Amino acid sequence: MGQVMSEFVGDPATRPDYTKTASFDPLYGFSEGRKERVMIASLEEMQSADLPQTSRDYCAHLAIEHRACRQNVWPLAYKCAHEKHQYLNCQYEDFVLRMKEYERERRLLERSTRKAAKAAREEMND
Amino acid sequence: MAAISRGILISRQYSGLLGLQTTRYAGAWNKDWMPGPYPKTEEERLRAARKYGLRPDEYKPVPDDGLGAGDYPDVPLVSAESRNPFTNWDYPEHRRNFGEPLHQNFDIYGLDRINESQEPRFSSTHQFLSFASVMAFFIGTYYFLENRKMHWPLMPKQFPNEGVAHYTFEKPE
Repeated sequence: MGQVMSEFVGDPATRPDYTKTASFDPLYGFSEGRKERVMIASLEEMQSADLPQTSRDYCAHLAIEHRACRQNVWPLAYKCAHEKHQYLNCQYEDFVLRMKEYERERRLLERSTRKAAKAAREEMND
Repeated sequence: MAAISRGILISRQYSGLLGLQTTRYAGAWNKDWMPGPYPKTEEERLRAARKYGLRPDEYKPVPDDGLGAGDYPDVPLVSAESRNPFTNWDYPEHRRNFGEPLHQNFDIYGLDRINESQEPRFSSTHQFLSFASVMAFFIGTYYFLENRKMHWPLMPKQFPNEGVAHYTFEKPE
């Protein structure tokens, strides 16, 4: 079902809140654990590069590289195609990760709804 | 004097021009066209009726309500748009005949202005309900969609912060 349609059809209880972070423990269900995301650029580097707050994500080191490259070769900005590609790929991976987090949240919400319904059924039978 | 008049008439025939104007205005300035004071005695009333070219029995001054109409006659109001367009009017652009007394607010009841006897096309109730239903539709849509905003199926962007751990979906080494 499309994202717009699901706002009107279906159970609102299993609809993740896209404005807030995940409500479940991020390690819940991962028996072997998860790899932690690593921030490579330090705060000093970002401040020194005057990086905007919106760019200070996990791709900040690539953003700094890209900006520095552009500054060095300007106006021949096409020479930074490699840095730009790397930076945009990192943003793409970040986007996919957020999509996965959303889907995980949705499935966990549906699972908890199922579990609650099952518990209620068993309580009725007892 | 007669020779001058004759000369003017003859010159009008031969020159092709309209010739000299031999009439004069009843007034020379705006204030000369002002109505006189409101008639109080019968004699004043008769004089005012004669001034406006009305019979004494049909002359009735505008009520003295302090708006300065003076002795101006109270002419029944018929807007130009309400008059018969097929009549052979002397002034078709005003739908008025020569010498016909003018309403005191004649200038706002012309063909391009107000038609005093016109009925509105839709009743006030109809107008109000139309307005209210359109506004209700848009405001209702706004409030209905207030908590149903379109968005990508994404969780918020993760920013590194002190004391907050973010994870990928890969296994740790």
